[in-house]
Amino acid sequence: MSYNGTAIVAMTGKNCVAIAADKRLGQQFLTVDMDFQKIFPITKKTYVGLPGLATDVQTLYKSNMYRLNEQRDIEPKAFAHMVSSTLYEKRFGPYYIEPIVAGLDKNNNPYICGMDLLGCMDVAHDFIVAGSADENLKGMCENLWEADLEPEDLFETISQALLNAVDRDALSGWGGVVHIITPNEVITRHLKARMD
Amino acid sequence: MDIQLGLAGKDFVILLADNQITNSILTIKHDEDKIYKLSEHVVMSVSGEPGDSSNFSEYILGNTVLYNIRNQHELSVDSCAKFTRKELANALRSRSPYQVNYLIGGYNTISQKPALYRIDYLASIAKVEFAAHGYASYFCYSIFDRMKKPDLTQDEALDILAACVNELTRRLVINHSSYTLKLVDSNGVRVINGEELLKRTSAK
Amino acid sequence: MSNYNFSLTTFSPSGKLGQIEHALAAVNKGVTSVGIKVQDSVVLASIKKPGSSLIDLDTLKVVEPICGSIGMTYSGMGPDFRVLVSRARKIAQEYIRLYQEDPPVNILVKNLASLIQDFTQSGGVRPFGVSLLIAGYDSRGPGLYQVDPSGAYFPWKATAIGKTMVESKTFLEKRYNKDSGLEDAIHTAILTLKEGFEGQLTEEFLDIGIIGTETTVEFNVPGKEYKNPEFRVLSAADIRDHLENTV
Repeated sequence: MSYNGTAIVAMTGKNCVAIAADKRLGQQFLTVDMDFQKIFPITKKTYVGLPGLATDVQTLYKSNMYRLNEQRDIEPKAFAHMVSSTLYEKRFGPYYIEPIVAGLDKNNNPYICGMDLLGCMDVAHDFIVAGSADENLKGMCENLWEADLEPEDLFETISQALLNAVDRDALSGWGGVVHIITPNEVITRHLKARMD
Repeated sequence: MDIQLGLAGKDFVILLADNQITNSILTIKHDEDKIYKLSEHVVMSVSGEPGDSSNFSEYILGNTVLYNIRNQHELSVDSCAKFTRKELANALRSRSPYQVNYLIGGYNTISQKPALYRIDYLASIAKVEFAAHGYASYFCYSIFDRMKKPDLTQDEALDILAACVNELTRRLVINHSSYTLKLVDSNGVRVINGEELLKRTSAK
Repeated sequence: MSNYNFSLTTFSPSGKLGQIEHALAAVNKGVTSVGIKVQDSVVLASIKKPGSSLIDLDTLKVVEPICGSIGMTYSGMGPDFRVLVSRARKIAQEYIRLYQEDPPVNILVKNLASLIQDFTQSGGVRPFGVSLLIAGYDSRGPGLYQVDPSGAYFPWKATAIGKTMVESKTFLEKRYNKDSGLEDAIHTAILTLKEGFEGQLTEEFLDIGIIGTETTVEFNVPGKEYKNPEFRVLSAADIRDHLENTV
């Protein structure tokens, strides 16, 4: 979690969910890249955030893509279980990743789920945090999150939570990206942040 | 204590590497070329465990050359980098991981853009404008940050590398007497005389 | 004369695989099974053939559940069917293990058909002597499929397999109405089987499986409520009620 540095957070809103991440790739305290992708689209309404060891982020994302053998979009819940199974398959030589799945199901109900590096799932109704800044994020979310936020309010909430959390974490930050998933569209915005 | 630097400019990429092979406190060789030419428009510099770095690099070199012969088509710099990452990632999870770091630079003749990839021994890959591995990174990233600008010319790039070498000569406990520099642009790979860079350094 | 009939994997000059044709012949000797899909449900029904009056038919089951939302019946060889039931259940459980939800009918059918196809192309094996009718309910609604010994599969609105396949299909073509409800579908299935049955058709000789929006089950997972259609095999008493209503 703390070798490359990450901060990823997902939140539910009213018929929408949001997932946000920072952009830093580091090697301990050396920053190598300031535009590193950590959130990946799975379907139009399901996104996955992969915080943890960068090499496993890139490996896991690829190996997952090939498994969608269905002729339909996968539901976020089924996808989360798939990721969980994939992680547990490597029980004794794990991928160092604590994924976050965020999406809307077929009835457009929000679904967010975090898990540990072995695939133990944690389905939440409010928010999920992970990465080197997870404790900072948890504090921010506890204070800022409220139920039934509209997409724009949810964007403001999750952005503030992310930006203020990474400002107090030396290993994450250097810009951020937010995806707001609504029934009709996904709004993606890039955040400017302190670059130090 | 290997030194590996890379810079992507407006329409070119330059890689720099030292020429030393060491074993403990001994320097075994002063004129090793650590920058492999994978194809007409792709070069790869390597550092890490001496055995691993030559063995794995030759494997990558062999396979890219084989691809180019079989298909009569040059593997792009982007594909070379991703191929190398995948092989390194697979090895990482095997019984014999390779302890090697790479900079892969080249000129993509189709998109007509230069590209520089940084791959570390854990096989994480990042496409970047400038890169360094090892102890050199602690000295050079700040110089890159200070001197970089959009649409860098070749002359400016060499100035940056000269500043880096200058700093390394001054502050790094090991002194390197010579460097290999390779530049890739639309015309292919060109070796730049390391002496010229040292001249820029002393002129500063 | 012809070696083609014995080697499973050798085509005859006319482009046929003898053993697969013969497997279909075994199916056509078996008792009749029907499947009917209506607006929001599916019915499977099959005859239990009494080889002797001494057989205790209560313990024989020819309509089997595969997973919560899928069931299956057959025409042809009973032992082969039981092998396929256990393989199908395993396929379903592997899917559930991965996704924590029942497989869609088409995915289960695809996987099972691919297994059946393997038995037409491998050495040292023979094809299965059964055609299957598979019924289920998923996010796309009700589904009814037939799978043949060759591994070919077809989606149907209503169909019949086995001894009286041709007559039963003609009967179904006349009677089929996709807008009817589950009760109507059960009755149509019973009538179809009655047509081809020699003697008095009683609940003893009949197995029926149903699934649809009327057969939902609630799962009580803490904090979650699911209401999914569940495949059910009717009891003898239920079947008797239906038979009495079918004149």
